[in-house]
Amino acid sequence: MDYPLWIPGIGAGVLIGLVAIAHVLVSHFAVGGGIVMAVVETLAVRRQDQAMRNLAKRTSLILILVSTVFGAISGVGIWVTIGLLHPVATSALIHSYVWGWATEWVFFILEVATALAYYATWDKVRPRTHLLLIWLYAFAAFMSLVIIQGIISFMLTPGNWLESKAFVDGFFNPTYVPGLVLRTGICVFLAGAYMAFAALREQDQAARVRLVRFLAGIQVVGILIAYGGYRWWEAALPESIRALFLGASPKLAALASTRHFLLWMLAAYFLLVLFALLAPKAQRWPVTAVALLLAFAFFGGYERLREGARKPFIIRDYMFSNGVLISEIAKLNQEGILSKARWLMVGQPDEPVAKGRAVFRAQCAMCHTENGYLGIRKLVAGADPETLDLILTTMREEGDTYVSGQYTVNSHVATENLNYPFMPPFVGTEEEKEALKTYLATLTETKVAEVRHGN
Amino acid sequence: MATNLMPALDPAPIPGPVWLFHLLWVVTFLVHMLFVNVVLGGSLLATFAGSSRREVQSFFVNANSWAISFAITFGIAPLLFIQVLYGRLFYTATILVAGSWLGMLGLLMVGYYLNYVAKFRLQKGKGVGISLPLSALCFVLIALIQVMVNLLHLQPSRWEGVWTQAKSALADPTFFPRFLHFLLAALAMAGALAAYVAVRRAKTQGQTAELTDMARLGVKAALYTSVVQLLVGFWLLLALPSPVLSAFMKGGAATTLPLGLGILAGIGLLVVLAGIREPIAEGTKVRRAMEFLVGAVALMIITRHQLREAYLAEWQPLAGAQVVPQWGIFLVFLVTFLVGVGLTVYAMYKAATDKPQVGEPAA
Repeated sequence: MDYPLWIPGIGAGVLIGLVAIAHVLVSHFAVGGGIVMAVVETLAVRRQDQAMRNLAKRTSLILILVSTVFGAISGVGIWVTIGLLHPVATSALIHSYVWGWATEWVFFILEVATALAYYATWDKVRPRTHLLLIWLYAFAAFMSLVIIQGIISFMLTPGNWLESKAFVDGFFNPTYVPGLVLRTGICVFLAGAYMAFAALREQDQAARVRLVRFLAGIQVVGILIAYGGYRWWEAALPESIRALFLGASPKLAALASTRHFLLWMLAAYFLLVLFALLAPKAQRWPVTAVALLLAFAFFGGYERLREGARKPFIIRDYMFSNGVLISEIAKLNQEGILSKARWLMVGQPDEPVAKGRAVFRAQCAMCHTENGYLGIRKLVAGADPETLDLILTTMREEGDTYVSGQYTVNSHVATENLNYPFMPPFVGTEEEKEALKTYLATLTETKVAEVRHGN
Repeated sequence: MATNLMPALDPAPIPGPVWLFHLLWVVTFLVHMLFVNVVLGGSLLATFAGSSRREVQSFFVNANSWAISFAITFGIAPLLFIQVLYGRLFYTATILVAGSWLGMLGLLMVGYYLNYVAKFRLQKGKGVGISLPLSALCFVLIALIQVMVNLLHLQPSRWEGVWTQAKSALADPTFFPRFLHFLLAALAMAGALAAYVAVRRAKTQGQTAELTDMARLGVKAALYTSVVQLLVGFWLLLALPSPVLSAFMKGGAATTLPLGLGILAGIGLLVVLAGIREPIAEGTKVRRAMEFLVGAVALMIITRHQLREAYLAEWQPLAGAQVVPQWGIFLVFLVTFLVGVGLTVYAMYKAATDKPQVGEPAA
């Protein structure tokens, strides 16, 4: 809000989603891969099992290519992306959790060093040292999850932090442990699902069957942990979040469908894994590929659900998705949103449409593009000025509801009682509301020339 | 520029004393830059060395498959601390050139994977093809973006101009000398490292014509780039905006000492390098050159940090900020750091030394 606004053509949410999904798929594999490979090589050494050893060896190149290159760069990528799109939220997280991230960074060092050394020392060191490397890697990678989960879950359920602002309260929040269990399960089954490809490359049939069955067993364990974790996570959510996608009449139908989708994906994935477990001989790569895609679908669905369930906040009960704090609503209603979003009027004429557009960019553009994803032009099409006025007036009044604390208990806002439980309130002066209305009204006229000019 | 474009201070308090963040930034940024220099200088030097110098190419391509990872990983810590100290300036600068800043990730990914392509090509006995020069180009472009963002976050007075006219992001009289300063330092470091490694390998594996050539090339590269660097360094110093330069010079011993010592280290480096006739036979001198170079980089990073303070003197980025240290979690970090570094060193030591005896099974 205080910053210059940069929104890519595909929309802020879509860009963050793309970078984040790419990163989590890889990073969870990097964590699970460490654990499963450590188990596999340990068994290989104990049982003198050459096939198991080859499985670990085959996977290790992918692990480092994926973990130390793509995982590391896309991880920094999330930083870069949220810093560009949500500087205020990023700054808030940094101020609360910089020591947490610094601690995670130490585990990254150990993780990267051991991963590279592990790959480089096949056939070159004694087995016990090689095992030391992979177990240290698994430990470091898992610890990085243990830390980042505290910060991710904080954004959805900040819990007692809202009152105390204490690191420990925010970190060990209500969904921290359930989410960690869920993610651990995901890590394990993703590793199993991926390594199943490497197992199919085993030439000896008896060995191949053994490996396929072993990895199916790993995936069953992962799926059960993930499912348990998921249900626990749902149960740990406050009612205002559950109301968005659970119950007989969920407030956000799209999120409720996402939930159905991800549970069906998990069920289908589970069936395919059972098939591999019971008929390992019949296992072929297309089935393995479908299983991996289903695993991805469940995980992607969960991430979408978790992000969506945060609406209308970026840090629940503290900061809205457009960067406005609950604590500054009153001040901004008085001084105007453009007193804060000063960058957006730079070089713009001082007239209502330009002002309205700046207000739109300050408050709405984080979720709504003009013509693309959640495009506002489509959403306001056909709305007359009275309707627009009614909507904006109601949304502005909802700001007062946040301020008065009518639905607030222990700093948690029961958003399910609001008219707009998943949209931030409109914040700003009466004049700004009028300007926004004027701007939105220009979008309802779908003249070709205007479409071309609107950028 | 209207001063009111400066974003508001984050209302949350700073979770530790400011001096601690400055200290941690300098230390972690130094480690980051040592790896960055190897990656950037190494990929360039290996490219210039050409395919006839397989020893040099294969050394840097292999070293970089580690160094790129470490450069990224050690970049995370200064990235965290810069946000605590200069968040408002840093976020604004990156948003002003958002496309390039985001594009940096793509360049990094492509540069890294191309390095692996070069590595596997060399392993198969083929030449590196265009993979290595392209990889080096990616890293050069990343350096360019970094210099651009760095100069922007130092100068809020340029923001409005860049916002309305994106091209002016590069229009800074110090841009070119600063970028050159960066590239030359990286090349010098890569050269000195190549010579140092060749000397060590000759000692353990016996001297070969390739190693002699690698050592000579390394010394030559370090020497020539450092001669030019001396001139570029002064060019950069004189190109600084005069209020910045005078604020820096008025800082007394605290600012002039690191810079003075840094320049002396550079001159020492030149003297040592110029005195090397046959690097393989003069291992001590090669090592001395490496020490001077690392010393110069360390001192210049302190100078770079102090220059930022001089640039930002009128903006006072942390004025009015509240400090509420989170000592408990800081302690967790400190202990994790000590144990983590200890474990890393131990694991690397075992990986390098725990070789199986003849007849013993290997992993």
